[in-house]
Amino acid sequence: MRRLLVILSVGLPGAALGGDGGAWGTPLPELVQVLALTGDASRGQEAFVVCRGCHKPDGAGVVSGAYPRLTGQHARVIMKQVTDVRAGVRQNPKMKPFAADHAVSTQEIADLAVFLSQAATTREGGKGPGTDLARGQALYASKGCVGCHGARGEGNAERFFPALAAQHFAYLERELQFIQQGTRGNSHPEMVEAVKGLEPKELAAIADYLSRLPDHRKAAAAKK
Amino acid sequence: MTQGPWRRGVLLGALLALAAPGVARGDEEAARAPMPREDRLKLCASCHDVDGNSKVPENPVLAGLHPRYLVQQLKDFKSGTRKSEVMGVIIAAVDEAEFDGLARYYGKQKPKPTSAKLDPKLVAKGKPIFDDGLEAAGVPACSGCHNEDGSGGPKYPRLAGQHPAYVLRQLQRYKSGERANDQRELMREVAQRLTDDEMRAVAAFIATLKGADE
Repeated sequence: MRRLLVILSVGLPGAALGGDGGAWGTPLPELVQVLALTGDASRGQEAFVVCRGCHKPDGAGVVSGAYPRLTGQHARVIMKQVTDVRAGVRQNPKMKPFAADHAVSTQEIADLAVFLSQAATTREGGKGPGTDLARGQALYASKGCVGCHGARGEGNAERFFPALAAQHFAYLERELQFIQQGTRGNSHPEMVEAVKGLEPKELAAIADYLSRLPDHRKAAAAKK
Repeated sequence: MTQGPWRRGVLLGALLALAAPGVARGDEEAARAPMPREDRLKLCASCHDVDGNSKVPENPVLAGLHPRYLVQQLKDFKSGTRKSEVMGVIIAAVDEAEFDGLARYYGKQKPKPTSAKLDPKLVAKGKPIFDDGLEAAGVPACSGCHNEDGSGGPKYPRLAGQHPAYVLRQLQRYKSGERANDQRELMREVAQRLTDDEMRAVAAFIATLKGADE
């Protein structure tokens, strides 16, 4: 697994540095700013009021997948995605006005990220039909997903790769489709490469498999 | 004649400040503000009623609104940030030093349910919008900011029991941009995503909410 990660990052130096509209090249100036700030979970909880209308008061999103679960996501991933959405690098017209600087300050992005990364997940997420889990697991391994998102779907905070375990099935499926169609806007070039040519059924199988993995924090605690 | 109630107001304010150790700075100061003069309350009562439970559907119920929200609205009327033909004229006669007292007075009044006749079909259509929003249009749930019971707070106002005609008018004004003093510009965006029918429905449901018991 580790070797794969090394091969990928060494093998595609251009992708790691340049690539997709700056989303994975030089970090956006605001992301650099946010990363330098100290986030505060209690301030983040206050700032989260603005997010509750869609992501729900517990931050667990909705089973329909319209809004993802945010609890347990790596703080650095949340920082990157929010700054990408508000800069328009990630195409999300529904969220953009609520991620704009009049709705959320730069400091609040740091606060929200810390709060959400620590917040407990209290509700089960949405799952797929469960009919193709073996294929989903096999694809997750064979397509190199493990190299970046980890064997337990725990992601990689340092590299801004999101945790995927226990995310809503419908959200994962939709985002995989967006990445494949090129409409997400801030997809990592390696990610685009990984899903190239996969059939809708295969994307759904991967999403279903991931939606059933336990919250990566639980899995990490159990391993210790 | 005005000295009596004024003094009592000061005393009551001091007691309230002592009784509520958790309140934020600024709130403490507001909680000590003298109660409004009787002639001033009469002026407000002509539209909002003595206890802030206006009987005119177009005039908002003020009873139970958070004092900090009320002060902000009064300031915005005064500065012209929030426009209203009626309040724009009235507020010119009210000194800013009176705002805290007025807000404290109406915040303490007990809200009564609206007397507006509500169409049960509209109420039923409005409930899921308030509780969960509209996913396809990207409308956030009202409950997210205004609380599940519509009790609201200092930034996002209490909605429970508010007159539907008033709520509808405000939503329409947010949509047109005529009202633009919303917290973090959020309501202008939300209203953009609502149809007129959806506004009517959610306004009807809001009227049925009781808010938190105090």
